Amino acid sequence: MSATHALEVAGVSKVFGGLRAVDNVSLSIAAGERRIIIGPNGAGKTTLFHCITGTLTPTSGSLSLFGTEMTALPEHARTALGIGRTFQISNVFIDLTVLDNLRLAGVGTSGRKWVMHRSIDAYADLGDRALASLRQVGLADRIDMTVKHLSYGERRQLELALALIGSPRVLFLDEPCAGLSPSERRRIFELIAGLPRSITILMIEHDMDIALGLADRVTVLHHGAVIVEGSPEEIRAHPEVREVYFGQR
Amino acid sequence: MSRQQWIGIGVLALAALAVPQFAGSYWTGLITQILIFGLLALAVDLMLGHAGLMSVCHAAFFSVAAYTTAILQVRHGVPAIVAAPAGLFAGTLLGVIFAMAVRTRGVYFILITLALGYVVWGVEYRWSSFTGGDNGVTNVPRPVLIGLKLDTAEHFYYFVLVVLAIVLAAYRVLVASPFGLTLRGIKASESRMTSLGFATARHLFVAFVISAFLASLAGVLYVYYNRFVNPVSASFPISVEAVLMAIMGGSGTILGPFIGSGVFLGLRNWVSSFIEFHAAVIGIVFIATVLWAPEGVMGFARRVLARRRSGASTR
Repeated sequence: MSATHALEVAGVSKVFGGLRAVDNVSLSIAAGERRIIIGPNGAGKTTLFHCITGTLTPTSGSLSLFGTEMTALPEHARTALGIGRTFQISNVFIDLTVLDNLRLAGVGTSGRKWVMHRSIDAYADLGDRALASLRQVGLADRIDMTVKHLSYGERRQLELALALIGSPRVLFLDEPCAGLSPSERRRIFELIAGLPRSITILMIEHDMDIALGLADRVTVLHHGAVIVEGSPEEIRAHPEVREVYFGQR
Repeated sequence: MSRQQWIGIGVLALAALAVPQFAGSYWTGLITQILIFGLLALAVDLMLGHAGLMSVCHAAFFSVAAYTTAILQVRHGVPAIVAAPAGLFAGTLLGVIFAMAVRTRGVYFILITLALGYVVWGVEYRWSSFTGGDNGVTNVPRPVLIGLKLDTAEHFYYFVLVVLAIVLAAYRVLVASPFGLTLRGIKASESRMTSLGFATARHLFVAFVISAFLASLAGVLYVYYNRFVNPVSASFPISVEAVLMAIMGGSGTILGPFIGSGVFLGLRNWVSSFIEFHAAVIGIVFIATVLWAPEGVMGFARRVLARRRSGASTR
């Protein structure tokens, strides 16, 4: 085990009743790596993400981030260690403005979230960071709108901005392009591809072109277990992957 | 704050200051009562309107604060300068204990606060050797403030007004602060808040204690206003009325709970003078609010204003 590993997942399983949703999964993600996780519906990809980010507690196994053991840490503490994530189904603050969404994300891991005696407007840097993060995802002109008035695609963009503003060290993206039009997909793809290598990325993606175009390495999950892991070329050529994922031999 | 808002606050303040000049002591007393229950509704609304949790036990903090102050002053001759803070402390301390309710959400939160509230009511009612049982504690003296005895309706009204002005200014800062935004974030999506690094239960705990403190303050003002306290002050209807006031006036706003309190107590006073079923009338008004102005009087006013403004701009 090398200290340069951003994330170590060792033998993680998640059992729901009789169902092994995640079955003894081990991953070693190098710092700066772009790792794509693919697999058919129900393969356990999102459940695995939940186990790593802390939304769910794994039934067994252990997790560490940059060498720090985090298996027993609650979700908010894992975020403080440097995890950022987006959700498969947009999980943004519908009734708040875009600016307030980002300001909340901006104070999440700082002591400022406890400040009671000062208006949040007094923190100009929070507004500046919000704007910078919105520019990054191409949503700057929506800053004062209430999220419920944003389109589906714009909410996906905001979802990404929320994850980026906290300057995560490891970013988990759960199908960031799901439900987007081809041009919107292109935009998100380019945005992710353009992120600095200081951010390690794990991404679940169904679109094989996007997935294989972005990935350094690919992990294929099927029935909760890793069936193969390798470079995009190896994955494309792998017979078992062609069978379970592409439905062809 | 915009200029319009400053003007609004100025007009409101002048009107509030002028009340005793125009209203007799009966009406001044009623308005004082409206302000005190408005504060209780505001306390409830910190949880309801901002954090999204409906507490039905706030009468407990209100009542325990009132009882503590009353018992210390009446039975032990403790001066108000000690008894009033002691009441605030006792009510808030109970809030610290009852804040365990924030481990639950939704209907479970309502149920657990309901149960906790009943415990306090039951103790006050049954432990008569200490609380005076049904009769409560009577003849609570009004405090003397810098040589000024607050024994007339006018003097006491101004006292309540000053306390409220301070509390509302602080409340305004609180809800606009990062902490206040945190509560609205929890209401909107707790799962997202957790993934952004917030330990949401801690924020809710602190909010609940602040809210219990505000309810206790209302309780201390109430016992001085009423000069008497009995177990009714801790009863379930008081807790629910505070919730209804907040919703009727406009949940999540500062003025709303006071407007709701005004509508509620005003109606009760006015309607009960000629209809026996005054509770039914209030019920109908509440149902009408929920159906046609779900965001309360404040939300309704805001909608009308917005419509008029957009109508003017297209013309």
